[in-house]
Amino acid sequence: MTKEYIRLDHISKKFGETMVLRDLNAVLHRGEILGFLGPSGAGKTTTIKILTGQLKPTSGDAFILGVHVEKIDETIYEQIGVVTDQSGIYERLTVYDNLKFFGRILCVPGERIDELLKRVGLYEHRKKPAGKLSKGQAQRLVLSRAILHRPRVLFLDEPTSGLDPSTALDIHRLLEELREAGMAIFLTTHNMEEAAKLCDHVALLNNGQIVEYGTPEELCLRYNQDKRYRVLLSDGSRLVLGQKAEDVGRLSRLLQEDKVNSLHSCEPTLESVFLTVTGRALG
Amino acid sequence: MRTVKATTERENGGVWQRTGVKTVHWNKLSVILAMKWRTQFSKNFISMPLFSVGLTFVMTLFYGSMAKSNGKALDDSVRAMALSLGALMNTTMTGILCTGMALAEEKEKHTLRALMTSSVNGLEFFLGSTIPVAAMILAVNVLSVPAAGLRPSAAGWAMWLGLSALCAIAATVLGMIFGICCKSQVSASTMISVPILILVMIPVFGEFSGFMEKVSGFLFTGVLSEAAAALAEDTLRVDGFGIGVIGAEVLLAALVFILLYRKNGYERE
Repeated sequence: MTKEYIRLDHISKKFGETMVLRDLNAVLHRGEILGFLGPSGAGKTTTIKILTGQLKPTSGDAFILGVHVEKIDETIYEQIGVVTDQSGIYERLTVYDNLKFFGRILCVPGERIDELLKRVGLYEHRKKPAGKLSKGQAQRLVLSRAILHRPRVLFLDEPTSGLDPSTALDIHRLLEELREAGMAIFLTTHNMEEAAKLCDHVALLNNGQIVEYGTPEELCLRYNQDKRYRVLLSDGSRLVLGQKAEDVGRLSRLLQEDKVNSLHSCEPTLESVFLTVTGRALG
Repeated sequence: MRTVKATTERENGGVWQRTGVKTVHWNKLSVILAMKWRTQFSKNFISMPLFSVGLTFVMTLFYGSMAKSNGKALDDSVRAMALSLGALMNTTMTGILCTGMALAEEKEKHTLRALMTSSVNGLEFFLGSTIPVAAMILAVNVLSVPAAGLRPSAAGWAMWLGLSALCAIAATVLGMIFGICCKSQVSASTMISVPILILVMIPVFGEFSGFMEKVSGFLFTGVLSEAAAALAEDTLRVDGFGIGVIGAEVLLAALVFILLYRKNGYERE
């Protein structure tokens, strides 16, 4: 059995009279990525703040690395990394000095900084003031700061929001490497494609409530009610077939006649699952 | 390496709700001290202490030239006025404005959250933020004495240093209070300018109004202003009442700070 790093147990949170989280339950194990997906205001960031001890839940229990969140102190941050949707880098310091500053706080050797800067492609920019970095470079710096001390759990709040596809892809690769190395990653995003690609489990969050939970494949198959598939024929035309006897017979004939170029499932994407479940689009 | 243990504290409702004894780690404190010391020399902040010491020097020259034109030598009591003005500006502007704006800047640029999620605790951040500013106040108040052309005795120097240090503590804690209440540097500078005016103007007008003089005696800036006058006359000795006033204001400011911090942490959600 894999080691449980995060547990949310019936977590609710109220701000004044507004209920922002309702009865959340989720588990994240070592070497897994858990995605919290939902539109702005769904409660994703609030969940991260509760798990990292920045906010108290109104009710329920949350555990991080086996410790109840109400009992954690600042030493927990020696084992976790947090990337928020705001940068939090010292703009007056250079790229290298930013990492050196946080590295000294977290007792990280200097070689680790060079290693990380090379890995995220910022080594050539190490002497540049952080305030002069592009958005993508700044986000890579923020991510480097969060993983500088090789944390066991990494929290990422919209890590690729507003980034170009190439930088987003670099970040995805890095996250996959970190997962392989055993890091547990709690990712919030409203990018369903990113979630489907990276996450082992996803929780669809709407109005502070988890409306669906499972692996991306499970969710897509659960809502694949039409069970249809698209057939691309060798003459360039396409067909959409179902699972009725006549459709199966037709496909069988096309296959025997070698007229089928490719077959594609028409299962819904996470985005359409979200739309089906909540009746609202992401964004 | 753990060095200092402070009292138990609990931060409710706001940013950092943790229970337990706060420990100051020297490695973390030293890194924050170095960073904040460096911030003191950035263009936004260094202008205030430079202005204060410059003001003392320029005012001394100005009064000197006025005295010279009247065919007199510059009186020590006039030098004391220049020293008092510079020391008041330094203590309030560097102490309250720099500290408050630095905290507001950390919040505005989200570096405070980054620090706090990098295992720095509230006490380490507080000490790291206030000690460099207090050191700067002390250094500038010391430099202001020769800038005003005064040569006090050893006893006078000791009292001036002691009172400046106490005033620096009061001012930096006040700065942290305003920093907690402000979300941005702009709001911090606007909000802080009013108490600075009050704290500087009351001792200055104390020269001309008996009522103001009485009120001034109950302000740390008033005590510092009187100390400057006594330093010039070389009569500055241990003043129990003055020390009591500053001590009470330090305690009051610390109490308000702790109450605000316990309620919301450094940053209200």
